[in-house]
Amino acid sequence: MGCASSMGEGCHGGVRIAFRRRDNFGDSTKSLLHSCHDRLPRPTSRTFSAFAAKMPSARDVVYYLFHIQELRAIIHWKTWHKPVHERDESKESRDLKECYRFLDLTSRSFVAVIQELHPELLVPVCVFYLILRSLDTVEDDMTISIEEKEPLLRDFYTHIDHENWTYDGNGPEEKDREVLVKFDCVTREFNKIKDEYKIIINDITKRMGNGMADYAKNAGDNSSGVKTIEDYELYCHYVAGLVGEGVTRLFVTAKLANPALLQRPELMESMGQLLQQTNIIRDVWEDNEHKRCFWPKEVWSKYVDEFSDLFLLQNREKALQCSSEMVLMALNRAEECLLYMAGVKEQSVFNFVAIPQSMAIATLELCFQNLAIFDRNVKITKGSACQLMTESTQNVQLVCEVFRRYARKIHRKNNPSDPHFLDINVACGKIERSIESIFPTQTPRTLPHGADQTVAMDSEEEAKRKAQEAEAKKDVMYWALAIFATLGIITAVMVVAA
Amino acid sequence: MATSVLITGGTGFLGVFIVDAIQEQHLEWSITVLDLVLPKAPKDNVAYEIGDVTDLQSVIAITDRIKPKVIIHTAGLVPELAGRYGRRLKERVWDTNVNGTRNMLSAAKKAGVEAFVWTGSCCAVTDDMRYQYPNIDETWPTSNTSLIYGESKAAAETLVLSANTPLLSTCSLRPSVLFGPGDYQLIPSIHAMIPKRETHLVIGPGSNLWDVTYAPNIADAHILAVENLLSSSKTAAGEAIFISNEQPITFRDFCLALWKEFGHIPTWEVHIPVGVANLAGWVAEWVTWVTGTPTTLSRGVCWMRLGRGIVVGRRRGGCWGISRGWGSRKV
Repeated sequence: MGCASSMGEGCHGGVRIAFRRRDNFGDSTKSLLHSCHDRLPRPTSRTFSAFAAKMPSARDVVYYLFHIQELRAIIHWKTWHKPVHERDESKESRDLKECYRFLDLTSRSFVAVIQELHPELLVPVCVFYLILRSLDTVEDDMTISIEEKEPLLRDFYTHIDHENWTYDGNGPEEKDREVLVKFDCVTREFNKIKDEYKIIINDITKRMGNGMADYAKNAGDNSSGVKTIEDYELYCHYVAGLVGEGVTRLFVTAKLANPALLQRPELMESMGQLLQQTNIIRDVWEDNEHKRCFWPKEVWSKYVDEFSDLFLLQNREKALQCSSEMVLMALNRAEECLLYMAGVKEQSVFNFVAIPQSMAIATLELCFQNLAIFDRNVKITKGSACQLMTESTQNVQLVCEVFRRYARKIHRKNNPSDPHFLDINVACGKIERSIESIFPTQTPRTLPHGADQTVAMDSEEEAKRKAQEAEAKKDVMYWALAIFATLGIITAVMVVAA
Repeated sequence: MATSVLITGGTGFLGVFIVDAIQEQHLEWSITVLDLVLPKAPKDNVAYEIGDVTDLQSVIAITDRIKPKVIIHTAGLVPELAGRYGRRLKERVWDTNVNGTRNMLSAAKKAGVEAFVWTGSCCAVTDDMRYQYPNIDETWPTSNTSLIYGESKAAAETLVLSANTPLLSTCSLRPSVLFGPGDYQLIPSIHAMIPKRETHLVIGPGSNLWDVTYAPNIADAHILAVENLLSSSKTAAGEAIFISNEQPITFRDFCLALWKEFGHIPTWEVHIPVGVANLAGWVAEWVTWVTGTPTTLSRGVCWMRLGRGIVVGRRRGGCWGISRGWGSRKV
């Protein structure tokens, strides 16, 4: 979910002692999102720093000289993207302004999309984000003893409506400690939102707090990280799946999404799972550098004896196969994500859920069959990110095109010697099938009997088809020529030989 | 009394799996197999009858004697690739698939059979090669101007479904392309491309998806259909139902995966435009006609390799959830 990622970024319950921060956009997109966000009236210093962050490096200049299309995408996004809704700062209370400041401080990737949300959900989602972020900041801080941490996490949901509740037990190093120190701003805003939203936020906070507490308690004796695939999915459920559920319930309650989404909870779960699993695949190198491991042992133990062996040069092929299995697991979620997005009505909500999903499928493609993930941090380029953001802020058909495009790329990269070759291709096939079911191809055969047999086609597609046909015809001519020439030569040779 | 089941074509590729599946899941059913020949290795607790479904009198003699409660009519003639796209074999195919089915239905009515499950084919719809079939489901019409096999299956299906009455429940199962252990058509022809060094050639973009069906899965589907027709709900009665693995892949991928099992991975590939392939197939057929020696290439082969975008969509009724996963590794 949009939030899952933004919040996922925040609510990473570390299975191991250490906590990992995830940014679904990667740093490259961060400044871009800021740039659209910068159109909002903002403190000068902030705008200034955002500008500074955008100064391109020499390397970037060379890169975009050779990738003009990507440069075009960046310019396009910066020029044409208009926020669906804008904050009305004149009506904001002091506490709320403070909340947006926290949002800006803590969220790297979602500050813009949250602030563009429909006014009905703007404050609830912002508050929801900050609460989960705080929960996560507690869970993440290793200076807090487990005796103090466990009850704090489990009871956190009881504090969120205490107008004076604050917490200053975080260590001085903790970057986001300020949100907790001034948590009363958040709780006061929480109390102002509608009761139906409060119930949802309360419920998710309670369940996530308990999930995190369980992991924190196990962290001490569970030194080998995530053991089974079930553990892995449960972990992703706590840090992302639950957020998916929370925001979906908010959307539906606000009548901005189809209520049917709640009838099929596996869809919102998959939204969170795809984002989280993609991040875990992409960050494998960085996690290993920090002696953390989120890939389930059930998977990697099929290929190597120790997780760190995946990074050894002699195990390259094994590592690649292992990463394929991880990609396959994430890819299997894509179909449900498409169905979910087809159920979102309102544009700002759609953008909120679709941008991270497109980024995720693109990142998955980048990580697939890519040994670089074991050597360094990989991320999609700014240009691709901009193109994806433009495509993800229109309609579900375009997002389907994005998914189809990347599914085909994955399909093309797939290697028959990989043990998951067939399964990955089936997963890609299922994405295509799913898109076909959302937007069926119109052919004379699919029209009801007696209907007009001419199929409406837009002129662009028609032109494309004609161009392709013309090209195919030309190809046929050349090949025919080649075949007859060959036959002629053979005949001649045989005649001569005879 | 044991439910008596008559299986026509029970020694064939699919029939063997149906017999196995019944013996695995319904020990209380007594099985009689009707086929043209006795199997090389007859199974225990199975009665074998020799007979030809195209001969009405001999079929009636058998059904009158054993009085089956259930008939699974899976005997049919699937023309091999070379004959599939021509019309030379039309009489034989039609005789076995349509007349044979008509005979079995007459015999079933006469003998008081309650459930009649017939093995149809997705070809009843998809052999009409003028079209693509994305996410096809049972609402799509069958075609009576397609290839000889598809035409025969469509005609026979009409017979089967219109024979459905309160006394005799019938249904048609339409599996997509079958594969599995003992397959003598699909996998051998794909394997044969390795020694012929044809594995590098891809006709068209090779991106069309299709669904295959692992033979034991379709055997299970037959049993589910029989159970359904014998139950009080009978939701499948008078219905045609698509059966597939629900694992859409490209035909190219299916071949690649298969070749890998034989230790062969093509190192390069070249895409040939569809028109060229058709032309080459036509030339090859012509050469065959002139020289009298069969070649490996025909227009049919080209079409075959093109795959035609058959992806079986959802099917109606809730009772068809079957998945045994991929079987190709066991082949």
